[in-house]
Amino acid sequence: MAVTADPPTAERSTPVRPGRGRRPKQNVETWTWFFMRVSGLILIFLSLAHFAITHIVNDVVDTNASFVAERWDNPLWRLFDWTLLALALGHGLNGVRWSIDDYITSKARRAAVKALVYGTSGVLFAYGTITILTYG
Amino acid sequence: MVEVSQRPVESSIRADQVVYKGKTGQWAFVTHRVTGFLVFMFLLLHIVDVSLVNIDADLYNEVHELYGHIVLRLFEVGLLFALVFHALNGLRIVVLDFFPGAIAKERTMTVIVVVVTILAVVPGGYIIIRPWLEGTF
Repeated sequence: MAVTADPPTAERSTPVRPGRGRRPKQNVETWTWFFMRVSGLILIFLSLAHFAITHIVNDVVDTNASFVAERWDNPLWRLFDWTLLALALGHGLNGVRWSIDDYITSKARRAAVKALVYGTSGVLFAYGTITILTYG
Repeated sequence: MVEVSQRPVESSIRADQVVYKGKTGQWAFVTHRVTGFLVFMFLLLHIVDVSLVNIDADLYNEVHELYGHIVLRLFEVGLLFALVFHALNGLRIVVLDFFPGAIAKERTMTVIVVVVTILAVVPGGYIIIRPWLEGTF
């Protein structure tokens, strides 16, 4: 039994116009595409605000250990930094995955490079998360 | 070169004779990939250097002082360029995805992305290297 009903015959016989047909089937890549758009929009604010605070408003040499201590005294800054970490890493990792799929054609090399990139990112995500959670 | 003949369009184009000469859109695509990759690489490094603060505050301070060196300050200007370009070009991509009609203005949008990026990076970059120019670092 079909889950979605077919459109009436008259409607189906009209020429297909882009964006007007039946909703195409969604798959994992539809959601990674959507994730890139949503995370990208959020990251515009998070990453540029982070850069402005650490390089424009303050000079980079002043963002020392006591600067971190003062900042992470507020759990909202920890949440800000962790959200930035998670979204930037996820967004970047998916971008790298797309590039690997585009440029590495050998199956074995693709698997090896992906294992390296996913492994490194996973370990560093855990490490960064532990740093933010356990500091102080 | 595209061969012109009486045959239907589909069969008159031979893949080995066609060179894709992408213009603004292609350059925006290439720059988006390169800047994205570089920011990702920096992020991995940045997780490691920030996490030093949890191991030893003095070690963190020692490593962190390197960021004040002029070579790394110039690198930070490059990071600012990569971030701003990637952010604005990403906005351009989102606009093109959700408003397909905007493709007619693709070139104008790319020019705006480049101009706004330069307008942000020149004063921002000056602020970043100013301590070196003034000799305070």
